[in-house]
Amino acid sequence: MWFYDKKTQYPIKITKPDPRMAIAILTQYGGPNGELAASLRYLSQRFSMPTKEAKATLNDIGTEELAHLEMIGTMVHQLMDKVPPKELEKLHVDTNYVIHGRAVYPSDSNGVPFTAAYIESMEDPIANLNEDLAAEEKARATYDYLINIADDPDVIDPLRFLREREVVHYQRFGETLRIVQETMGRKKFY
Amino acid sequence: MDEQTTLLEQIMAYDFALYDLQLFLNTHPSDTNALRDYKMALEQSENLRRQYQSKYGPLTARYLPNTTCWQWINDPWPWNNKEV
Ligand SMILES: [Fe+2]
Repeated sequence: MWFYDKKTQYPIKITKPDPRMAIAILTQYGGPNGELAASLRYLSQRFSMPTKEAKATLNDIGTEELAHLEMIGTMVHQLMDKVPPKELEKLHVDTNYVIHGRAVYPSDSNGVPFTAAYIESMEDPIANLNEDLAAEEKARATYDYLINIADDPDVIDPLRFLREREVVHYQRFGETLRIVQETMGRKKFY
Repeated sequence: MDEQTTLLEQIMAYDFALYDLQLFLNTHPSDTNALRDYKMALEQSENLRRQYQSKYGPLTARYLPNTTCWQWINDPWPWNNKEV
């Protein structure tokens, strides 16, 4: 189970609204390489992990991704909050506005709603961990694209933090994969 | 930056260090350096958290200040913009 801590994992203090950037970042909320997909993937896969290291890693990275989901939602909210509807129309984000207003909804930047089809969860831990390594790289690449188009330091700073976390997660999943392979290899010779 | 935000950001920094060490220790459970760092950061975080909660109210619902009113619901929530 989980308890809530009344803070984000990394500070977010956006003072300059930027609805176009909000919609771009939205893909990390409910898009294919987003934080919701990441969290759901690891928290589902953990049930079939065979070693104590792998159970802990999937459990804890899945939990951290939920904190990242909260960071992304906070950024989208702060970038959209109180922007007048006419302004949204001028910036061509009015199609999103007429469906959701200025709320945070789990979709990608094109408005495609979140779907569990973005993730896989198999009984085979080697297959899962290889998916997880690829997922971290895809999330890292998405943060690179977002950093490329952002210009407000208050937006770039938390995006850089999130990008770095994907690199660390990739590292931890790599170590986990080696531990699982060694353990399973050992069992074959028993 | 006001005093409350400074203190909260110190807690956030220690808690982040703790979480990063937690992930590291999950795949390196007998790394004594990481264990020592974890212990140090944990003490700092708990200390600052006690200070923060006694001054500015609960960070978790499981902190009950000596008042007649449930303070957990008080603003700001993490997604609220400070100037709002
Ligand atoms: Fe990640």
